[in-house]
Amino acid sequence: MKLRQSLRLCLKLLALLLLGGSLLGCQQRESKPGLTIAVNAGVEGDALKAAARDYERRFGIRTQIVELPYTNLYEKQLVDLVTGTGAYDVIMLDDPWFSRYAESGQLTPLEPLFQKRGSPGPDSDFLAPCLALCRHPYMKGPLYALPYVGNSQLFFYRKDLFEKYRLAPPSTWGEVLRAVRIISSGEKNVHGYVMRAAQGNAVVADFMPLFWAFGAEMFDAHGKPTVDSPEAIAALKFMLELGKYSPPGYVSFNADEVSAHLLQGTAAMSINWPAWIPAVDDPTKSRVVGKIAFGQIPGEKVPGRAEIGNWLLAIPRGSRNVEQAFDFLLWATSAEQMKISALRGNPPTRWSIFADAELQKKYRSYPAQLESLQNSRPRPRTPLWNEIENAFGVYLSKANSGELGAEEALSRANREIAEILKRNP
Amino acid sequence: MLTPAILVLLGLSLYPLIFSLRLSLTNSEGVWTLSQFERLLRDGLFGIALVQTFIYTLVALVLEFGLGLLLALLLNRELAGRKIFRAILLLPMLLPTVVVGIIWRLIYNPSFGLINGSFRALGIDTSGWLWLSGQKTALISVILVDVWQWTPFMFLLLLAGLQSLPVEPYEAAKMDGASAWQIFRDITWPALKPTVLVVVLLRILDLVRIFDQIFILTEGGPGFATETASLYIYRNAFRFFNLNYAAALSFMLLALSTAVSLWLIRLLGKRVAEARG
Repeated sequence: MKLRQSLRLCLKLLALLLLGGSLLGCQQRESKPGLTIAVNAGVEGDALKAAARDYERRFGIRTQIVELPYTNLYEKQLVDLVTGTGAYDVIMLDDPWFSRYAESGQLTPLEPLFQKRGSPGPDSDFLAPCLALCRHPYMKGPLYALPYVGNSQLFFYRKDLFEKYRLAPPSTWGEVLRAVRIISSGEKNVHGYVMRAAQGNAVVADFMPLFWAFGAEMFDAHGKPTVDSPEAIAALKFMLELGKYSPPGYVSFNADEVSAHLLQGTAAMSINWPAWIPAVDDPTKSRVVGKIAFGQIPGEKVPGRAEIGNWLLAIPRGSRNVEQAFDFLLWATSAEQMKISALRGNPPTRWSIFADAELQKKYRSYPAQLESLQNSRPRPRTPLWNEIENAFGVYLSKANSGELGAEEALSRANREIAEILKRNP
Repeated sequence: MLTPAILVLLGLSLYPLIFSLRLSLTNSEGVWTLSQFERLLRDGLFGIALVQTFIYTLVALVLEFGLGLLLALLLNRELAGRKIFRAILLLPMLLPTVVVGIIWRLIYNPSFGLINGSFRALGIDTSGWLWLSGQKTALISVILVDVWQWTPFMFLLLLAGLQSLPVEPYEAAKMDGASAWQIFRDITWPALKPTVLVVVLLRILDLVRIFDQIFILTEGGPGFATETASLYIYRNAFRFFNLNYAAALSFMLLALSTAVSLWLIRLLGKRVAEARG
């Protein structure tokens, strides 16, 4: 009896497995031609999503959009690139991730694809700082991506409050602090400053312009980390001072919270990205329509330079639709399509879009954005950036939450970064 | 009868386990080396993560067990509306953990959240109440979310245990004039021990691996204040792609949780045997 029962169970399991297997097989055979595009879930991804839908409508090629929040996007892309499964045909990536992807040969080189279409490469309408990010090594190497979202930091400040207290637009961080103090003490429900200080990408992205303005550098000429230099300590101490005038809980703020405070009018100044500008003047989202001005990143010991943070479009090596993906890439980054995406709020990466009269009328921030891009500098182009950013970010966060003093935090961060470099020669 | 099931289980769990073991004993080029474990022993951050995991487990367990037991004892009687109370109490446990994380992140928000907002409306100054953003308050804030969500689990299992106890000893005790505390100490608690063992063990195994709430609420921050072992392993595996090191860390975590579980089983199992014999 027992043998027959167990035999029956075996047969049932086998039948189930066969059924499941055949269903799985069916799915794979029926895969339709089309493109799978990995997009960032946030303002930066909105324009690409809309462009993908336009592409599908115009050319009849199915575009499947996979939308993921920042950290998940990175992880999913990394897994796909390393395993070469071809889950994505086009990926949208933040430029700090680029060095890692390109270094390990996981992205399709674009120049051969250009040449196959009879073109030497991307046209000169692309802004040089944006295109430089797409080459590995930086600026000189082969091309692996095209720039889509022309993000470069700007200094957002409430010009109405500046006029009220008769303050000139700040050109140094010292002037910023002075203005922050005056506005904080003068206004009841307004914090002078707000910043992203959540550990990791958030705090490092906001700290770098300050770090650079005080004359600090992450690495010296020999590639050794120097984040514990006197200039760096001065920069961090300044950040802690600004933190005193920031809303409570700023230590875990990310882009959403910073923009919420700016849009609600409860914070007067911040470093922010152009992708947020449309929301500022949108009466359905903002209480400070027309009151925010966009300036350049202030300097201090050295002239201020914005941190560039473009989002790039690339084709994973493992994609099974490389030619189609490249067609989409060319189409999406063409001047005609970039104008349409700019009208939807996407910061441009082409000269002609910035020079366009219609767009200049719509976006009062365009001159500032262009100046910021031309004067920007990228974060260190190392494949180890993710680990380094993480370590640096943890210690910056500890300093901001009061757990460690500035000197201690930076000295530990420096040691940690040196360890990371040692582990990965 | 069990052979097909066992074979499937072995295939799905044994192969990945052996693969991970191999990962932990090699480096990224495939060379056999103990360097991952050497690094682990020198890794101060992992040590901190382990300590925080231990604190999290202990505090959450004590709070959840205490509250769960109290609620189970209270609702073990013939109260009016008992069924409704039970249904409401079960709700937090039915929500997906990610949803719970998002809800509580909003509740804890120092500027716009429910807690600070409500107290501010009563005129209390909440500027120092940082909850998830505060260096000292982050860990306990995250623990409280776990307690909110999983106390019903303890409550459910303990209630089931209580309801399976025989009534005769209780009747006898009441006739002898025993107090409520004496009844609990001498009748309820000894008989409940097998259930307690199961409940505590199940919960510890989950708490030691805690990940989703913390990932949503603080991602390990501020600084390193809410970093736990699982989060640290995840970061090494999927952000830095150090799969070998992450495998070594995972095995260390496995070894530690197995040790704790075995110790617990022995400890409570002994008491159960004593109670029976």
